[in-house]
Amino acid sequence: MDALSLENVTKTYDSITAVNAVNLRVRQGAVLGLLGPNGAGKTTTIRMVMNILVPDEGSIRVLDKPVSDESRNSIGYLPEERGLYPRMKVRALIIFLAALHGLTEQEADKRAREWLARFDLSDWSEKKIVDLSKGMQQKVQFITAVIHKPPLVILDEPFSGLDPVNAATIKDVMLEMRDQGSTVILSTHRMEQVEKMCDSICLINHGQNVLDGDLRAIKHSYGKNTAHIEFTGSDAFLNHPSIAAINRFGSGVEAKLKPGADPQELLRAAVQSGVEISRFELLEPSLNDIFIEKTTHA
Amino acid sequence: MHKLWLIIKREYITRVKTKGFVIGTLIVPLVGIGFTLFIVYLVGHQSSKAMRISIVDNGGGIAPVVASDLQFRQSNGKPQFTVEQLIERPTDANAVQKDLRAKINAGTLDGYLVIPADLSQSVELHTKNSGNFSLLGPVSSAVNEGVVEARLNARGVHVENVRDLVKGPDLQVIKVTKEGESVEKGQTIGIAIALVILLYMSLLMYGIITMRSVLEEKTTRTMEVLISAVTPSQLLAGKILGVAGVAVTQFLIWGATIVLLGSYGVAMAAMGGAGSLLSGIHVPASLMICAVIYFFCGYFLYASMFAAVGAACSSEQDAQQLQWIAMAPLVFTMLIYSVVLNDSSSRLSVILSEVPFFGPVLMPLRVSLQTPPLWQIALSIAILLLSIAIVIFGSAKIYRVGILMYGKRPTLPELVRWLRYS
Repeated sequence: MDALSLENVTKTYDSITAVNAVNLRVRQGAVLGLLGPNGAGKTTTIRMVMNILVPDEGSIRVLDKPVSDESRNSIGYLPEERGLYPRMKVRALIIFLAALHGLTEQEADKRAREWLARFDLSDWSEKKIVDLSKGMQQKVQFITAVIHKPPLVILDEPFSGLDPVNAATIKDVMLEMRDQGSTVILSTHRMEQVEKMCDSICLINHGQNVLDGDLRAIKHSYGKNTAHIEFTGSDAFLNHPSIAAINRFGSGVEAKLKPGADPQELLRAAVQSGVEISRFELLEPSLNDIFIEKTTHA
Repeated sequence: MHKLWLIIKREYITRVKTKGFVIGTLIVPLVGIGFTLFIVYLVGHQSSKAMRISIVDNGGGIAPVVASDLQFRQSNGKPQFTVEQLIERPTDANAVQKDLRAKINAGTLDGYLVIPADLSQSVELHTKNSGNFSLLGPVSSAVNEGVVEARLNARGVHVENVRDLVKGPDLQVIKVTKEGESVEKGQTIGIAIALVILLYMSLLMYGIITMRSVLEEKTTRTMEVLISAVTPSQLLAGKILGVAGVAVTQFLIWGATIVLLGSYGVAMAAMGGAGSLLSGIHVPASLMICAVIYFFCGYFLYASMFAAVGAACSSEQDAQQLQWIAMAPLVFTMLIYSVVLNDSSSRLSVILSEVPFFGPVLMPLRVSLQTPPLWQIALSIAILLLSIAIVIFGSAKIYRVGILMYGKRPTLPELVRWLRYS
């Protein structure tokens, strides 16, 4: 059973097609990275999954049932547009939102206390939201997204504005939920986090999914086409015909090779040019590179 | 249903806990009671002190009649005047007046009356407190009676008690209603205008509260979290019903205050005290029930429009510019209610009170003036309920589109276009 499946989903605003015939299947227990440049249609897609917007065409199924007002109770949602009632007290607010997701008030209260303790917010539970720092508000909002133990969690930029300690706590919670069988959909622009956490990705551009599947398989399909070279001496050898693009770093360069080029030839040319090579490593492309390639090509 | 209840509960508790509600609910009646008690005190205090007056009669013969008439006058069971001195045909009028002025300035006299020898000249009342108009009526009629008696005497007609002779009958206006007749003392108009103002203010206030509540969820970006758990219709309904609950609470507190004040007035009247003023204000229960029914019809009509305005805007400033859409019919009602006040059963009044946007104010106004035929009330409520259904349907659509729209304030044509979205 898929945790989420989109079939041929299309949404048009006036004359703009925000989401165009998107197909996507997310298996249960996976962590999916939902990627795409700004305005690609990610938020519209998420809102359709949340039944906030209704697709013009196609069908969306959550846990093998068509989306409905009931299906939303099985989803935890951390929207990009964040905000909470500023004048409500922290714990009362968490209980209110948890009760809206179907928990009894006693159960909601018990879990709220546990979560507040875990995020170091116990001392703040009787304070008003407006008195909290932005990072604290974000933690409270994260709690409201996961407190009802939803089988599907959708997190839109969950780490923005968090310090490394809190970001690590949220990452731990996400992986914990995955281990307990929940499915996590992570929408973010931070590729290194996706690379660390996600099993699979879906890349949307101009309302269409241009790439989706298992992250390792995708990277593998690109092959080891990137040479990471660290050296001292003239960089004249980088004009070698096998190199398609160069990305310079402080300590060295990342040379993307043309399709079919032989990396050994590049290594030989470098040695012959007389530079002192301290490192020459063949790598799969980073997700960052794949993202840029896929979104600028079209 | 459970979710709707949670929304209503949160909305209600949040509103009732605000400072604005506590101030509005408790301070307003307290100020009302305080003000009323203050007036009662003033009236009671004033009546306990009679005006000390002297009379200078340059022609002679009139002063004793005026004096006896003034001494006869009472206010709240106590004499209104005490006559200190009668000076007829003084040899040195200026010296006498100078002496009286000194007494007034010393505080031993409150005023003196100068009656000229030639009665074609005016009578003068010299007093420190020249703004007290309540004294003018009694003084002038007392002087009149004195003069009339003097003239009658001069023509050989001797009359013992001129007061009874010159006193004409009072004109009393009696209001005819189905329940019977009651003496009109201006309270009908007073209650009618108070009712119009009260309904207008309440509809406007609770409409704006609803609008700001929707706007708060948008500006604080709480909206998206909420509609990931409930439908926009549930949210809209919960909000409107929650604020309605606040209104009910406020009215109950105010109603209790009025009942307490009323019973205080009745008790004071029984004791013959000055509080009897309050017992004259009698609002029929049927009118109160009618006003409450029309308030809630009007509230649901206007609050759903205000909620749509709140949903369409992204900031307080935008909302202030767009709220005229919801406010205009209400403000217009205030411009035309005098038509109904002048003649509540004219054809124009009947038609205006059947218009759904005016009905919530104008129909209770008509009821307070003259009970309209039952079919007209039934028709107006039917029209109102139908209009409420239509307006809520449209508002819910605008609300559904608007709550996730940020940025530019929509224009009226854009709002109309939102109505056609699925």
